[in-house]
Amino acid sequence: MNDPFEYFASSVGAEIDFIRGEKRRGKGVVGIYCEFTPRDLILAAGAYPVCLCGSSRKTIPAAETILPANLCPLIKSSIGYIITNGCPFFTMADLIVAETTCDGKKKVWELIREHKPQHILELTQKVQEAEAREHWFQEVGKLKLRLEELYEAPIEDDAMRLAIRSMNLERGLLRTVMEYGAEPRPVISGVELGRLRYRVSGMPEHRIKLRELTDHLEERKRRGDYAAAENAPRVLVTGCPMSEGTLKLVEVIEEAGGIVVAQETCSGIKPLDPVSEDGDPLAAIAEKHFRIPCSCMTPNTGRLELLEKLAKRFNAHAVVDLVWQACHTYNVEAFTVGEFVRKTLNLPYLKVETDYSPGDREQIMVRVQTLLEMAR
Amino acid sequence: MDIGARSVEVLLHDGAEIVDVIIGDSLRDPRGNAEALFEKILGMNGLDRRSLESVTATGYGRNYFQHATRTFSEIICHARGVAHLFPEAATIIDIGGQDSKIIRLENGKPVDFSMNDRCAAGTGRFIEMAGDILGITLEDMDAATRDGDDDVEISTMCAVFAESEIIGLLQGGTPRDRILRGVFRSVAARTLGMAGGAGVKAPLVFTGGVARNPGVVRAVAGETGMRIIVPPEPRITGALGAALLD
Repeated sequence: MNDPFEYFASSVGAEIDFIRGEKRRGKGVVGIYCEFTPRDLILAAGAYPVCLCGSSRKTIPAAETILPANLCPLIKSSIGYIITNGCPFFTMADLIVAETTCDGKKKVWELIREHKPQHILELTQKVQEAEAREHWFQEVGKLKLRLEELYEAPIEDDAMRLAIRSMNLERGLLRTVMEYGAEPRPVISGVELGRLRYRVSGMPEHRIKLRELTDHLEERKRRGDYAAAENAPRVLVTGCPMSEGTLKLVEVIEEAGGIVVAQETCSGIKPLDPVSEDGDPLAAIAEKHFRIPCSCMTPNTGRLELLEKLAKRFNAHAVVDLVWQACHTYNVEAFTVGEFVRKTLNLPYLKVETDYSPGDREQIMVRVQTLLEMAR
Repeated sequence: MDIGARSVEVLLHDGAEIVDVIIGDSLRDPRGNAEALFEKILGMNGLDRRSLESVTATGYGRNYFQHATRTFSEIICHARGVAHLFPEAATIIDIGGQDSKIIRLENGKPVDFSMNDRCAAGTGRFIEMAGDILGITLEDMDAATRDGDDDVEISTMCAVFAESEIIGLLQGGTPRDRILRGVFRSVAARTLGMAGGAGVKAPLVFTGGVARNPGVVRAVAGETGMRIIVPPEPRITGALGAALLD
């Protein structure tokens, strides 16, 4: 297995084997759905944080037997996986950690209570206010207690410091790969980055492969093996996370002759800030996760600041906003983002509202092609 | 070649002016129909493929037309075609068989656009469907709605549910012309709504097959309070722009 891209494309089998083996050795497994969940804390408790399945349209019809059809595809796909026993990581998990991000998510956890023990983190949404921060810090503290109870062992500060260092390393490796998009001639495409997904954090093999990946990219640079034509319009993607079900958007952008240089999303750079390695480790963990500029926050000015920073660093020529159907927070915020992109960043902007089905590929193509022609 | 969801427009241009135009159906066999119309216009003008400097395809079928030497999205083409005919145009409303779009122009260049999403409401298909239920053909729609300006609110956002709403109105005794004017207004309002917060600016040019329906043009004028410019043949601005683009 020499090509690290190949490795990540088919890593799910290795991850299932790895988690099964680690469980047998007495390690814990905690299922997560969202970047607000502090993986650092789960690692410190001696467990592996594992992203649960929710990116395929195949499980949506099953979910629609118990959920309204006009929910976002992520919620429907996730619930579909659970009720059809289709997610092996869910089956192996000792606990699920979920959040009160949007209305759909916070209510849906109630429906799967019988399937698995769960812990809900309550997100406070007026992020600018001190009380919100204080409340979130308490919530992270309560998660620590829950994990200590579950694994019958206290989580020491030293264990947290170690876990922070470990997660910072992993986030740093991912970030290094994503930063290749900032090069004048990127050697990694948005589709390749989109397929560079894995579910288990803290898995040593992944880190080895991420390092090999940067070597591989350096080699491409030496060879002049670029991911797009020299004049390809550079697209910054923002909005809902990219996953298997919506990767069609990145594919369409690149088929139309553009290149996705960065993602201001939870599948991109947004959650990859390091946790401070100084001071109280629990507070540092809480602080980092509190700062994720998600559309469930109000007002969510952090997202505009991040967009501006990324548009400059990655030299974007256009911004494409991915909105999942029925994702009200990203959909409403798209107006603010569109105005900001057009008027402040002076870039062409396109909102694409879609779900995991492939049926609207052509419609998306028309819009994307027009946007790229406008950006040239 | 503007290969749309309902029709194909083929336009021959010699660099200075339009030499010939044909408009045909694209239904059922869009590729075959486009191919046949392409050969037809060449034959009618005593040309062969080699005598063409370039063949530009646009519309939904653009990527499947094998003789195309280049392709552009229909939004870019409509913008170019309209800017050629009306250099002052600030907004284009284009309503075709299966989609509708609104394009904002600055100095003849498109700077922003939006299209309806996966839904027939607000398109030519929606008007056809309403006509079927009301028993009014496209040709008769102008005469049926010309006299009078009272209409009825079509509130449903979905073409399929709107069908039930129209049937309900008929059963309740609402006159057909009022219902049809309501349909026109709903198409106009839905399309104009896509302009978002910026609103539409004059001069406003209305293109696409639906612009041939004076009832809809009246509805757009009523909704905007603007004078609406309709090109002499509103279906060919996309093909014209395709020919003119550099």
